[in-house]
Amino acid sequence: MDIVAQHLLNGLMQGTMYGLVAMGFTLFFGVMDVIKFSHGDVLTFGAFAALVAALLAQSGGMGVWVQILAMFAAAVVATALIGTEIARFFVLPLRHSPTLNILLLTMMLGTVIRECLRLFYPNGGNPQRFPALLPAGGINFGRAFVRYDGLILLAVGLALIALVHWVITRTRFGLAVRAVAEDEETARMMGMNFRRVVRLTFALGSATAGVAGVMYGLYYSEINYGMGVLLAIIGFSAAIVGGLGNLWGAIIGGYLFAGLQTLAVALAPAATEYKTFFAFLVVIVVITWRPTGLLAEARSERV
Amino acid sequence: MSSPVKAPVWPVLAGVILCSGMLGAIVAVEDQRLIVAMLLGFAAIWFAARRWGAVAALERSAEQHPGAVGGAILVAALAGIALLHEDNFGFLMISTVLLFASCCIGLTIQLGYAGVSNFGAAGFVGAGAYTAAVLNWLPWMPDLLALIGGGVAAVLVGSLLLLPVLRTRGHYAALTTLAFGIMFGVFLDATPIVGGPQGLKLSGVNLFGWDFSNDIRLGSFLISFYANYVLLSLAIFGVAIFVASRLDRSWVGIWLDTVRLDETACAVFGVNIGFWKILAFTAGNFLAGLAGATYAKMLGFIAPNNFTLSDSLMLVSVVILGGIGNRWGALPATAILVLLPEKLQFIQEYRLLIFAVLVVIILMASPAGLVPRRTRRLDPHLIIGNVGWLTRLVPHARSVPSPQRGEG
Amino acid sequence: MGFWRRGITAMAAGLLVGILPQVSSAKDIVKIAWIGPLTGALSQHGIGGRNSAELAVKLKNANPATKYNYELVALDDECKPNVGVQVATRAGSDRSIIAAIPHYCSATAIATVEVYNRFKLPMVVWAAVLPEITYGKKLPEIHRVSGTLIGQNRVGAKFMADLGYKRFVSFADTTDYGKSMDKYFTQFTLENGGQVIGKFGVPPDQQDLSAELTQVKELNPEVIFFGGLTPLGTRLRTQMVKFGMDQLMEGQSGIIGEAFINAVGAQLAEGVITFFDSPRIERTEAGQEFMKKYAEAGYKEPYEAYGPFSFAATNLVMDTIEKAGPDRAKVTEGLAHVKDYASTVGPITFDDHGQNITPLTTKFVVQDGKWTVWEDSEYASGNRKLGRQK
Repeated sequence: MDIVAQHLLNGLMQGTMYGLVAMGFTLFFGVMDVIKFSHGDVLTFGAFAALVAALLAQSGGMGVWVQILAMFAAAVVATALIGTEIARFFVLPLRHSPTLNILLLTMMLGTVIRECLRLFYPNGGNPQRFPALLPAGGINFGRAFVRYDGLILLAVGLALIALVHWVITRTRFGLAVRAVAEDEETARMMGMNFRRVVRLTFALGSATAGVAGVMYGLYYSEINYGMGVLLAIIGFSAAIVGGLGNLWGAIIGGYLFAGLQTLAVALAPAATEYKTFFAFLVVIVVITWRPTGLLAEARSERV
Repeated sequence: MSSPVKAPVWPVLAGVILCSGMLGAIVAVEDQRLIVAMLLGFAAIWFAARRWGAVAALERSAEQHPGAVGGAILVAALAGIALLHEDNFGFLMISTVLLFASCCIGLTIQLGYAGVSNFGAAGFVGAGAYTAAVLNWLPWMPDLLALIGGGVAAVLVGSLLLLPVLRTRGHYAALTTLAFGIMFGVFLDATPIVGGPQGLKLSGVNLFGWDFSNDIRLGSFLISFYANYVLLSLAIFGVAIFVASRLDRSWVGIWLDTVRLDETACAVFGVNIGFWKILAFTAGNFLAGLAGATYAKMLGFIAPNNFTLSDSLMLVSVVILGGIGNRWGALPATAILVLLPEKLQFIQEYRLLIFAVLVVIILMASPAGLVPRRTRRLDPHLIIGNVGWLTRLVPHARSVPSPQRGEG
Repeated sequence: MGFWRRGITAMAAGLLVGILPQVSSAKDIVKIAWIGPLTGALSQHGIGGRNSAELAVKLKNANPATKYNYELVALDDECKPNVGVQVATRAGSDRSIIAAIPHYCSATAIATVEVYNRFKLPMVVWAAVLPEITYGKKLPEIHRVSGTLIGQNRVGAKFMADLGYKRFVSFADTTDYGKSMDKYFTQFTLENGGQVIGKFGVPPDQQDLSAELTQVKELNPEVIFFGGLTPLGTRLRTQMVKFGMDQLMEGQSGIIGEAFINAVGAQLAEGVITFFDSPRIERTEAGQEFMKKYAEAGYKEPYEAYGPFSFAATNLVMDTIEKAGPDRAKVTEGLAHVKDYASTVGPITFDDHGQNITPLTTKFVVQDGKWTVWEDSEYASGNRKLGRQK
């Protein structure tokens, strides 16, 4: 049973990461009905910003906790900024054209971000070492191995999910987001600043990606310019399987995906090459069974 | 319904001459400075032509004189072949553009007409390509059958997806096809019978003793063997445009529009939503498979990483960039998305960056695509056969899933 | 939209200004094509190789004794077969291009060999290692300076058996490169009396390996063999150590280079073993010269593992053109008789398939953040121990 516990732990960590990415997709979709495909590359951008901040803090002789703080701060600021600017200059001007145009546009913006990192970050084409600031090592439960840094990051991820949920359901800003998602025109008639709400939502969604990027770096000790592509595809799929526009759906979708991938390896170790095949096959079956996602979109609550 | 004013035929002729001239010039010119200057010039011509209504006039004229369009394009192609005669690379690129455009017209039928998202198009292209490669193992198999077999295989593979595609809509349908595209690539990579990651070799096309791999000799005049493929691709492109325009301009197009725009209303009027979606999905996949089989035969080698998610997204990008729902938009858009990266070779590692920036600029400057969709000129006399009985093959109007926010 | 209009105008102006007239020269210009990945996940290797080829051309042109002035046409194949066929056709149909130095990725090279043959364009592969490229079909235009991956696996398996390792797990990427690595690794390991108790294939862009590593941990091998390239190798090494696994990691030519150690960190990379079909270039005079010139040229990117090969192949092609003249058929003929050609990567001799048969396999181990030749390392002298060494 130890091995089951081990797989469960691995899956939990991965699922949290996927869920955080999926949450961003669902937020953007909620307020604007758009799929922002540059989301994964924004995550990568946040991770690189954090890396620079950590290296700067390190050379300034700061302590470990200052470095960690600098990392998260840099990632959140950088991604929130780039998120709002994408909304302001690219998504909002195009919001009356077909939604697919925005998908293509953001995909290309993602490529621009990715290529800039590859070409202009020193040695950016190679994987970059991410400073290991969290306590290394771990404890053995039987044969299952629990990494300390994994536990800490898991807690951070869950806290972030709770925080976003709180912002959306309990704050005035969250109320505005839900109002815009519900009915844009009425919300504007009530005097809400639609563009501002959209920009802030993009900032919030992108900042979650930024934190996820730092978590990724700390957990794997390695980041690379292309890491956002696969995360975006999985995050997008998770958001849809869960039910677009539903925060809980995104999180469930994330865990489902991680669970499927882990399960495939655990059950058929000889056929690991087929594991992505298996995961997406189940996705197709699930989506056929529930055509609007596991947590079906309810008209009364879109976010 | 019939047109009150007969449009003149000269815009068609002028348009074909101008467009093929531009395409030929882009293909033939290698000098970096000239290319940049030319691209800027063509962009200016294009936007000016759209601004002053020339594109619309061209489209109107083309609609009324389909024969003139076909004839003019054929003459332009032959003239182009004579002019470029030994430029192997140029012909390869022109065939590639035509084949990708054919495939994207298939996507236009799916996405632009019936509103069926397909984010796994590279999977259907790949199904066609791999079928051609596998049929290549049978020495007695005529190549014509292998090419058509590619199309049929894509349809068969697509039929596995019918249920999910029919049950889902919008982004959810996009996910099912996207998932299929990824699964297809993983399957090819992991399965040694179809070559695994190393891919498969194919021989060139040979139609009834006409060997496409030989250079053409007319006396002392030598024409590259790729000219054969240009003609074949042109024929496929012609078939694609013909099918799409017949669908669009007959009553079928109207039904497809209603299916795309309002399924509930559609069901109320007794339109069989499922049937029309299946028809559009199947027709599109057939074109993708056919184009894929021909492309594979032309290249002589295929491997799984030719058919990845990014290739699917590239194909969808063509449809969006060309203008969703406008079949002619596929040609300039493919020319940009296929030729531009190749022409940007001189900036080496920066080319993907510049390419992405250029696409962003085009999208911002022209949000509805290069050739925006126009109101169709319905031709009620255009009968593609009484297809009414076919609709009975599919169970009657499916249940409409829980309402979603409609488009726009 | 005003913002966008201004943007487009600025862009257009920038493009026009960026186009500068080219320099002319008294000697005849001879063009050679260089092909490799300049975009995508493997672009770092491609750019390193491109820089090295460019350096060779620059140095040659600076030499007043040469007959021709060379121009390098660098083309990006994205490591995709279809793009490879496109650019090979492009180089082949351009009659002013006399020879090509193509391909980093095996999948691309295997797709294009017949294109070079069709257009009678002589070529010398600079990095792709799949045996079938030269041995698949005997074509006069095809040559290769890099070794096939057979040699390094033969040496590697023997070496591991001599150290007393018995139980192996193979961890390879699902590309043709990884699969061939796995094939020859398995073949030679079994021949040397080892056991391969598990095989794992993962796509090269997979980030999280914890599910596979959990299985590997259960199998409890002594050695994890890795068949793949730096990005995935980095993830495997980092994650296996973080997972508390102390097995020896046995790599191959795909992870050699500074990039691996930089990304993993000196501490985690310590004790990783690798085999590479190249002499120790820092030991030879030609190699030192190359390293010095590369540093002087001030390239932003390192030359990576196959840069010296690209440099050698480009020089070989140019020297052949000097002797045979700028004519494809004559260059093909000239390349057929290459024997003991002195280069940065040791003497080059082509067999009747155009394969360089003289590459030496060097064994490397990471020691204090450096790829150290095994024989010089503290591991060989017994001062340090490899993972699970008896």
